[in-house]
Amino acid sequence: MDETLAEFIKRTILKIPMTEMMTVLKAWDFLSEKQLQTVNFRQRKESLVHDLVLLCEEKCASVHDAALLDIIYTQFHRHQKVWDVFQMSKEPGEDIDLFDMEQFKSSFVKILRRALKNVTVSFRDAEENSVWIRIAWGTQYRKPNQYKPVYVVYYSQTPYVFTSSCQLKSNIPLLGQNFETHNTTVPLQERTLELDIHMDSRIIHENRIEKERVQRVTQETFGDYPQPRLEFAQYKLETKFKSDFNGDILAERKEPLRCLIKFSSPHLLEALKALAPAGIADAPLSPLLTCIPNKGMNYFKIRDK
Amino acid sequence: MDSYDTSESTPRQSASSRLKDYFIGATPLQKRLESVRKLTSFIPTPPRRKIPQCSQLQEDNDPQKVAFLLHKQWTLYSLTPLYKFSYTNLKEYSRLLSAFIAAEKQKGLAVEVGEDFNIKVTFSTLLGMKGTQRDSEAFLVQILSKSQLPYGNREHKVLWTGWFCCIFGDSLLETVSEDFTCVPLFLANGAETNTAIVGTWFQKTFDCYFSPLAINAFNLSWMAAMWTACKMDQYMAATEFLWSVPCSPQSLDISYAIHPEDAKALWDSVHKTPGEVTQEEVDLFMDCLYSHFHRHFKIHLSATRLVRVSTSVASAHTDGKIKILCHKYLIGVLAYLTELAIFQID
Repeated sequence: MDETLAEFIKRTILKIPMTEMMTVLKAWDFLSEKQLQTVNFRQRKESLVHDLVLLCEEKCASVHDAALLDIIYTQFHRHQKVWDVFQMSKEPGEDIDLFDMEQFKSSFVKILRRALKNVTVSFRDAEENSVWIRIAWGTQYRKPNQYKPVYVVYYSQTPYVFTSSCQLKSNIPLLGQNFETHNTTVPLQERTLELDIHMDSRIIHENRIEKERVQRVTQETFGDYPQPRLEFAQYKLETKFKSDFNGDILAERKEPLRCLIKFSSPHLLEALKALAPAGIADAPLSPLLTCIPNKGMNYFKIRDK
Repeated sequence: MDSYDTSESTPRQSASSRLKDYFIGATPLQKRLESVRKLTSFIPTPPRRKIPQCSQLQEDNDPQKVAFLLHKQWTLYSLTPLYKFSYTNLKEYSRLLSAFIAAEKQKGLAVEVGEDFNIKVTFSTLLGMKGTQRDSEAFLVQILSKSQLPYGNREHKVLWTGWFCCIFGDSLLETVSEDFTCVPLFLANGAETNTAIVGTWFQKTFDCYFSPLAINAFNLSWMAAMWTACKMDQYMAATEFLWSVPCSPQSLDISYAIHPEDAKALWDSVHKTPGEVTQEEVDLFMDCLYSHFHRHFKIHLSATRLVRVSTSVASAHTDGKIKILCHKYLIGVLAYLTELAIFQID
């Protein structure tokens, strides 16, 4: 086993927290039970890792074995990565392709290798018909850099593909090609979701339920697509003042308050859409505002009924 | 109420270089942060203020003479006391400032295209522009262009106006010695480059310091309430508020205008203490406006930023811009502004 590989294995094992060490090694299933029993797991981490690496050398670990360990570590720590989401789109009327995992894997490797000789590709099946793919990139003249791999997670029964952030953006189209051959329709459409926030356990969301309700209601009201462009909306109000908290104010006044309200923005409807999620407005927003696209009006006169 | 980070104050620099920062080099944000930094320190604001009335002294001042101050937009600054300024030397000051401006323009600083180098500066006092007899006399500085017409008639076009005043400035007057003249409120109209040059000259000559006077939402609300409280025979304009929504991806402005009679009716319904305006009344007045708006639009205006208020008496913008529309309450408006200016100086 060469030095660089030993170093890589050492660093990968070092990343694993002591509390997870046994679990990860068992999932890796490279070192046998017998071998693991010979190791003292109570010693200092550095020495433990040293012993483990020696065992790996004894068993002649290969790059692929090391890559597999890296995948397992990453699966345990997926929340520490930022993921881009891609959605494969289908033409209407297309049948769902029958998916063969083995065929997928072999052609995946072929396509990558055709483009680039120095690449390490590893697969690990995971829950719910998903496959984790680890790709370490090299260049024409250099061996793959095992320390900066890209992960691709593909849930075969869905049109979604997740990739960990890739420094080398130029490789994305290459990955895209892979998926094209299996879904013979249009290429991947990037839709970045903020998955990292939901995955980082250090962030606590207060009022999560309320926030989700607001998001849902806003989405129901405004839809997913960009709003029509509008810069201006004007409301002439002639309505009586009704106080929530102090019944006396203007109680005797029969006349309404005459008000003129103007909303202006470079993109008014987008700005209004953002108000409830920002906590500045209630959800649902007033129908006086949300009716603008439907009615095709932006000048209103409002009177008491 | 606005909230800002209180940034570290910049180290003391010499007056003129500091002024350069402010008037020429500083971004509006830098100017704003510096003035707001002072506003965010603990304010023991009076819980009540007197509703502007026609003051005795104001009876003296000639509406015609001060008409030119109305209906113009003024940019506000606070000014620290002037050292060894004398009202008897105004002619001398005119001469010196003229020369200074000509020199600055020759240097190529702030030259505007087509600008006539032939300018004249005048200093004059504004009588009756004070709150009490103790207040310093207000004075006016104007830059005029001397364009020569073929017949030898010299037409003086006013290029820039700045005036200095002190209305009910007792709290400041008490703190300074006799060598100082207190005119804490400075109002300028005209090109900002001229404001900068005049400012530099004053700073050099009287060892004073100008600072842009921003008006925060709290004070804008007070102004709206106080000016709505003023008795008017005739309303010239609606009572209007402008809010800016801070965190939307696109900027959003909400303008809310209410018929002045209705605004007055609302105020009268809220107002309990004769002759005075209290904090509770201001809050209630604003809350009524917010709740009326919320009932229709479900938007919480209180979560947005109040940027401008406008009434028949005067209009004020958070950037420190004011327009006085009514001669009757001129002193009242200036009194509030003087108070803000003095607070900023302290």
